[in-house]
Amino acid sequence: MNSNDKTVTIQRTFDAPIALVWSAWTQPEHIANWWSPKGITTQIVAHDFKVGGHWKFVMPMPNGQEFTAEGVYTEIVEHEKIVSKADFKPMTEGVEIHALFQAEGAQTHFTFQVMHPTVEYRIQQEKMGILNGWGSVFDRLDNLLQEGVSS
Amino acid sequence: MRRDVYQAIADPVRRDIIDLLSKKPLTVNAVAVKFAISRPAISKHLKILHESGLIEFDQRGRERYCQIQTQHLIPAFLWLEQHKKQWEERIDSFESYLNQLKSQQNEQQR
Repeated sequence: MNSNDKTVTIQRTFDAPIALVWSAWTQPEHIANWWSPKGITTQIVAHDFKVGGHWKFVMPMPNGQEFTAEGVYTEIVEHEKIVSKADFKPMTEGVEIHALFQAEGAQTHFTFQVMHPTVEYRIQQEKMGILNGWGSVFDRLDNLLQEGVSS
Repeated sequence: MRRDVYQAIADPVRRDIIDLLSKKPLTVNAVAVKFAISRPAISKHLKILHESGLIEFDQRGRERYCQIQTQHLIPAFLWLEQHKKQWEERIDSFESYLNQLKSQQNEQQR
């Protein structure tokens, strides 16, 4: 990934019709089944699927911490587009997430984007300058984080 | 007020302390002996790391262990890459759930 890019973009083509993709992505009883890594449960605390509606998912971690994801839907076009403001605590706050859906026969093209606010991004980038030469430390932390997620 | 993580890691000694503690939790004494600076100076660095949320103290009997709190380092360490990886994993998880749903539907239609 280009480190100068302030948007995370992920594109996939799912081998499933758009109606199924849409309901799996938007219905709370489905979301609870895929949102978290294996072994971690997602509690759907709120999910008001309409423009202006609030959603909040809570994931208790094995070490006793809690990860929270919450936001407010700002745009919903059925079988096409979902835009939401979102905060992921304790990691990434004040982002905008876009999920775009496009049917092609029995398949669905899916584009997912997380946009980080420019100002926050610029500050993060400047501060990251401090971190040059931290390679090995990062590798170890990365391993720790992986263990935290997968254990 | 909580101290800024970036301020905490701006100091080279504190970075070395994080480096040490990222291998395993250590007692305050074990940290202190690794550095050529005074014990009070080390205590001050540990206090700053603690106030920024980067380490926690864990009292075990008479020993006080310093333990790194990785989640507070995520914003500082290649946070965007880490963030992307998490979404990739989440969307992988979505995709396999989708396939599972699809095969359940197919079975019901049979």
